[in-house]
Amino acid sequence: MTDARTWLERIRALPLEGKIRVMNVCGGHERSISMAGLRGALPPEIELIPGPGCPVCVCPEEDIYTAVQLAMRPDTILVAFGDMLRVPCNAPKNEPRTLEQARAAGGEVRPVASPSEARRIANENPDKEVVFFAAGFETTTAPVAGLVAEGIPANMSVLLSGRLTWPAVAMLLDSETPGFDALIAPGHVSAIMGPEEWTFVPEKHGIPSSVSGFETPSLLASLYSVLRQYLDGKAFLDNTYINVAKPGGNPTARRLLDMTMDVVDSTWRGIGTIPASGFALKPAYAEHDALVRFQIDPKQARKRIGEMPPGCDCARVVLGKLYPNQCALYGKACTPRNPIGPCMVSDEGACHIWWSSGVRPDTPQEAVSAHY
Amino acid sequence: MCLGVPMQVVEHDGITARCEAKGIERSVSLFLLQHEDIKPGDHVMVHVGYAIQKMTAEDAKISWELLDEMLTEEELMGNA
Ligand code: SF4
Repeated sequence: MTDARTWLERIRALPLEGKIRVMNVCGGHERSISMAGLRGALPPEIELIPGPGCPVCVCPEEDIYTAVQLAMRPDTILVAFGDMLRVPCNAPKNEPRTLEQARAAGGEVRPVASPSEARRIANENPDKEVVFFAAGFETTTAPVAGLVAEGIPANMSVLLSGRLTWPAVAMLLDSETPGFDALIAPGHVSAIMGPEEWTFVPEKHGIPSSVSGFETPSLLASLYSVLRQYLDGKAFLDNTYINVAKPGGNPTARRLLDMTMDVVDSTWRGIGTIPASGFALKPAYAEHDALVRFQIDPKQARKRIGEMPPGCDCARVVLGKLYPNQCALYGKACTPRNPIGPCMVSDEGACHIWWSSGVRPDTPQEAVSAHY
Repeated sequence: MCLGVPMQVVEHDGITARCEAKGIERSVSLFLLQHEDIKPGDHVMVHVGYAIQKMTAEDAKISWELLDEMLTEEELMGNA
């Protein structure tokens, strides 16, 4: 395998002119890019933009509110991926705004790392209602589909906030200002759904694309590919993660997703509704759908439903329209210790990643991006 | 959440596998790999406790090197 240094040299040797904006749509990619300091190592013509790669960040505000309400029920254990516990919803002043606060107020909230753990908790607590709040992209939703298909305990239900990645990219591309010239497509989403899902990007929009893994050599190989495509004026879908993001994806995972879930129009926090961008449990599994089971209408009348917390620019960060450190609150009112918005809470949020890799409010912009 | 950790299968009963990475063992669901023939010694990419793809030993090694640089051990196993 060609190493990172060789790829960097090849990229530096390309006759680049003007700006080329390359978007990634995966928190894992952004993390590798930031931690490896790739922005500083690349020619200034290349702008690497973190795009919609954080499922926690776009998880609807109303779903978090619902999860908090369920957690406060005395007969209920609310189980969620650890990342979700500190994400705030816009609750009235003296009510809990996060699952963590719900727990402090007496609600039973348990963080898990896997859907199987959620099932174990349900099995161990047969006299309780166990609600699994499952937010995630395809890579996380497929295991949830596996859990549902395998059979879940009678006392367990799922509050599903599964989202598909490609419709968000399609929405950007269909808008007047997509904001990027090339795409690094997500490796593990493609491992599940198949890399073919991304062919619309080069074929319909003429945007150079490459599916990538998380290692620096794979990322740089993908970057080199999209730059070459751009220079040659020939866009296609490359794949530098072929051994994991296999053609057709994972057939069992796709079958189980089809079997248990429908693809529906869904809300993305701060962004709005994106057509056919979310998963919902099929009616056959309604008794395990928390919304049905507890007769919840997530769209009930509340103030600032769907919005980001006041002053938080997370939605524009998610869409690649704004770098994290361009938010007025970044590193001032908002830090991982005291996060204001979901992008600073989640490990996959661009604000959190940039902060962890050392970007501070006084870091000069040219050190973190070639934006100006 | 989408990071994923490569692990090596130690043994399995067809549905659940005991997998190992860096000396740490985890129970991993093989439910999403019903179409694959998984043997002890094989490498799989694990995401939220589920194996999502079979992979080569070489790819697993490259992934581990990256994860070593990026994550603490605790974070690593939190992702597996
Ligand atoms: S820095 Fe904080 S407030 Fe600003 S966009 Fe990021 S999460 Fe939101």
